[in-house]
Amino acid sequence: MLICENLSFSIDGHKLLSNIDFKIKKEKDLLITGPSGIGKTTLLSILCGLQIPTEGSIRYNDISLYSLSENKIDEFRGKQLGIVFQSFNLINAFTIKQNLQIANTAEGSEDTDHIYDLLERVGLADKSHIKVSNLSIGEKQRVAVARAFIGQPKWIFCDEPTSSLDDKNTDIITNLIKEESLRHKASLILITHDKRVQSILNFNEILRLGEVL
Amino acid sequence: MILGVTIITLSVLVNQITKNTFTKNNPDLDVVVGAKGSPLQLVLSSIHHIDIPTGNISYKNAKKIMKHPAIKFGVPISLGDNFQNYRIVGTDKKFLKLYDAELEIGSIWEKPMQSVIGSNVANFTKLKINKFFVGSHGLIDTGDIHSEQPYKVVGILKKTGTILDNLIITSLDSVWNLHSNQNDILKNTDSLEVTALLLKYKNKTSVFSFPRVINKNTSMQAASPNLEISKLFKLTSEAHKIINYLSIIIVSLSFAGILFTLLNNINERKYDLAILRTLGFTRERIFSIILIEGMTISILGSFIGLILGGIVYKCIEFFSLLGRNIVTGQLDFIYEILTIWFVILIISFLTCLIPGIKVYRQNIRNTLLNS
Repeated sequence: MLICENLSFSIDGHKLLSNIDFKIKKEKDLLITGPSGIGKTTLLSILCGLQIPTEGSIRYNDISLYSLSENKIDEFRGKQLGIVFQSFNLINAFTIKQNLQIANTAEGSEDTDHIYDLLERVGLADKSHIKVSNLSIGEKQRVAVARAFIGQPKWIFCDEPTSSLDDKNTDIITNLIKEESLRHKASLILITHDKRVQSILNFNEILRLGEVL
Repeated sequence: MILGVTIITLSVLVNQITKNTFTKNNPDLDVVVGAKGSPLQLVLSSIHHIDIPTGNISYKNAKKIMKHPAIKFGVPISLGDNFQNYRIVGTDKKFLKLYDAELEIGSIWEKPMQSVIGSNVANFTKLKINKFFVGSHGLIDTGDIHSEQPYKVVGILKKTGTILDNLIITSLDSVWNLHSNQNDILKNTDSLEVTALLLKYKNKTSVFSFPRVINKNTSMQAASPNLEISKLFKLTSEAHKIINYLSIIIVSLSFAGILFTLLNNINERKYDLAILRTLGFTRERIFSIILIEGMTISILGSFIGLILGGIVYKCIEFFSLLGRNIVTGQLDFIYEILTIWFVILIISFLTCLIPGIKVYRQNIRNTLLNS
C-alpha cells in the first residue's frame, strides 16, 4: 500500500502542495489530475523519491521513504518503482536496447531475456539497435514505457505519457501502460489531463489537485 | 599524460642507467695516466670506452710509472682499432682480473693476434671460437681494415654486466704488430706506445700527490676516474633538472587536461547521469563511475607513457654508438619509475575526485527540469 500523509511542498516560500493525503491499495490505480502548474509533476517527483517534501510522509507498505538514506531511496526507486517521465528521460546517445540494459543494471539484474520480451511487446524488437535520438516521439514514449517495467516494479508512475502524441499513438501507449501494469500486477499512478487517457483507463482513485477535497 | 610520462621515464632511465654504467665500468681504479688533453676525455676513452683517446704515451714511461712506489699495480691499454664498432683493446692479462672476468669457453690469448671477446661482442657479431676477424682502423667502423693480419678468437668471456662485455681483448703485441713494422719493434722497443695506463694506488694518501707529480713533471696527465665522472654528472645534472621540470609541467598540464575533460564530460552528460539516478543508480555508484573513467585515462596514459619511454630509450641505445657501451640489465631504476608512476596515479585520483564530488552533489530533479 502507498500512503501519502499530510504532504506539503514549498519552493522559495511559496506553498505549491499543501496537506495532500491519499492511500492506494496494492494493484489499485490512481489518476492525478489538475490544471497546469498546480504541482502534479512535483507531487510525482516526491512520490518517487526525487524531491524531498517540506512536510509529511510517504510510505510504501512498511517503508517510510524519506526516513531512508538517499542511497537507499535510489535503490528502492530502482527496484520497486517504474517511472515514465513526460520528457521520456532516455539517454539519447544509447540505443533502445542499451537504454533498457542500463535500467536492468541499475536494478541489479543480469538476466537480459525479459528485455527482448518487453521490446517485443512494445513493438520495438526489430529496432533495438537504433539510437534513441533517431526515434520518433511515439517510439521514444514506447521505449520509456518498456524501461519503466524493467525489474518487475510494483508501482508505476507516469507523467503526462501522451501529451505529445496523436490519437492513434495515445491509444497505443495508454493500452500498453494498462496491459503492462496488469501483467506485472503493479499499481499505476498516472498524471494526465488528457480525457482520451482517462476514458481508456478505469482508475480506482482520482486525486484532483487544486480542488478542495 | 602519455608525453609527460614518456619524458619522465626517459629522463629516469637515462639518468639511472648512465650512473649505473659509469659506476660499474670503473673496476675501482684510482687513476688513469695518458697523453695530455682533456682529463675527462682520457677517463671516458680508457675506462668507459666512449670518447676518443687524447693520444699515446711511451710504453717505456708507462713501465716506469707502474714501478712507482705509490702504485700497487698498473695495466697498460692500447686502443686504435675496432671490429663492427666493438673496440679492440690491447692490454695484458691483468686487465681481465680488473673485472673478475671468467671464460665462458676457450682460453686466454697466448700469442699475438689471438683474442678473447666479451659476451655482447659474441652475441652481436656472431664470432665464435677459432673464427678469424679483421679489425678496422679507428674506433668506429670506417671500412678501412687490417686485412693482412686477422685476429683469431680463442676465448669468449662470461657476461660481467660491465664494459668488458663490449670489448675485444688482445695482447699489446697484437696492436703493436698491426700498427708498426715487426723489425722496428724488435730493434727499438723504446718506440712502442700505449694509449693509457690504468692504475691502482698502494694507499689513498697518493690521491693528491701522485697526479700532481705526473701532471707537473711529465708530458703525460693523470686523471682520477671518480673525480672526472662526478664533474660530468654535475654538468649533466643541470640538464636533467631542466628535463625533469619540463616533464613535471607536461604531466601537470595533463592532470589539468584530465580534470577539464572529466568536468566537461560530466557537464555534457549531467542529464544522462541524472537519468541513471532516476533508474536507481546510487550517488556512490555514479561517483565511482566518474572515478573509474578518470583513472582509466590516467592508468592507460601513464602506462603507455612508461612503455614509450622504455621504447624510445631502447631505440637511442640501439641506434647510437654511445649506447653500445651502456651497461643494461640492472633493474635499480624500476623502483624510481614505479614510485613516479604511483605518485602520478595518486595525483590522478585526487584530480578525479573533483568531478566525482560535483556529480555526487548533483540535484537530480533540478538537472532534469533544467534539461
